[in-house]
Amino acid sequence: MSVDPTEATTAMDCAELERSLEAYLDGELAGPEQAEASDHLARCEACRSSADRQSRVRSALRAHLKAVLGPGTDAGRAPEALRERIHAVLAKERRSPWRRLLSPVPIAAVAACAAGVLVVLATHQGTDPLVDEAVAKHTRDLPLEVTAASVGPEALAGWFAGKLDFNAAPPRFHADDVRLVGARLSHIQDHPAAYVRYESPRGHMGLFILDDPQRRYGDVGRPMQAGPATVRLINARGYNVAVWRRNEIVYSLVSDLDERDLARLVEAAQAGDR
Amino acid sequence: MFDLRRTDIARDEFERLTMQHIDPLYSAALRLTKNDRDAEDLVQDTFLRAYRFFDKFERGTNIKAWLFKILTNTFINRYRRSVKERNIVEGSERDAVHERFISREASEYAANPEQFFFDRLLSDDVLRAVDALPIDFRMVVILADLQEFSYKEIAEILDIPVGTVMSRLFRGRRLLQKALARYAVISGVLRGPDESAAVDLDAYRRRRGKLA
Repeated sequence: MSVDPTEATTAMDCAELERSLEAYLDGELAGPEQAEASDHLARCEACRSSADRQSRVRSALRAHLKAVLGPGTDAGRAPEALRERIHAVLAKERRSPWRRLLSPVPIAAVAACAAGVLVVLATHQGTDPLVDEAVAKHTRDLPLEVTAASVGPEALAGWFAGKLDFNAAPPRFHADDVRLVGARLSHIQDHPAAYVRYESPRGHMGLFILDDPQRRYGDVGRPMQAGPATVRLINARGYNVAVWRRNEIVYSLVSDLDERDLARLVEAAQAGDR
Repeated sequence: MFDLRRTDIARDEFERLTMQHIDPLYSAALRLTKNDRDAEDLVQDTFLRAYRFFDKFERGTNIKAWLFKILTNTFINRYRRSVKERNIVEGSERDAVHERFISREASEYAANPEQFFFDRLLSDDVLRAVDALPIDFRMVVILADLQEFSYKEIAEILDIPVGTVMSRLFRGRRLLQKALARYAVISGVLRGPDESAAVDLDAYRRRRGKLA
């Protein structure tokens, strides 16, 4: 007896088609689903006419968007002055090639070393979950559970007490323009973590604090030399991340600050905590 | 100097690959920031960041998607001050699944989408309707229906699951159609409900006649 491979899959019904119609019209269904949807449409007139209608609406919508925002429209064309400005800015970047060669944080590294903090440069993509997961979670921008505006910055620092079984008091950044925004509970690889969000005129930051007695995290990059504190700056997916450790607690600060600002900030926090 | 020359070559390559996408990037930036100056700053920041991270770009992959990812990241982190807007969106996204099946409004639109076939909509109305979308929906609609990125590319750009792309796109399109239909009615492009009933009257009578 021959077995038709398609027999194993049940035919798509109207409700199923409706659910996947949008994706079907966008050409996003995978092979078998696509075939099932086409099959159903061939058999079912009601669905076919509804699909036709939707497809016409889609084309009309896209045509409208293109006509107003697409190539050649006022709202769809970058001003000439902007092109020139970008060209000039990029050319200026070129003028300090030594910065490129020592990237990402030459100036910050010099400053930080002078202050007794060793900054380890990891120029490769972060392979540490403390970096990768922290960046992913930070970008998701989940709602905060407590905000400095509602309880005050001092109370916020103590908010984690009783919620986590380690001391997750956030460090002080000793910078007037860094504002504590709020906090929430988070986790990195299923380990509970504190998440604290900060804001400064130069950018946003999210700090993850977690207990790591087994020293699972933060060993990305080269072996480190010990100073009063060792901070690693890692560039991951467009974010600059600073990772450091104090005894059994690790900190991962995800930021869109530039390397220099971030290093300076973390350095000041270390100095203040000593 | 050798290093200087190498930097020049890298910059030439960078500009050759990226500058061709400046128009779509600017167009998206303008819809995100809603004003020229912020849009220009956002695009400039995007190019500068992209240049700095150019060694992270995998040659042969989609550079336009990579640039859009940097653009949206930069926007989210630097230009978007208001957390409020996002909270609203998250609420509506939760509701979207239910709304898809039970909302009266949604089923009305499903029953009569022909009314969206307006061809004389004013471009200002289209702009207004796009700008009125909550920002997360606005981004997904722009990426899908204007820039024609795939679901997977959009998921990568916005760092959200494909399922979320689909639900935002679904809802964003519905909201946009609804707003456009409203503007169309206001500017008299579409027939009002009474008029359309009159047009259908003959057909209605014929149907009734058959039944009787």
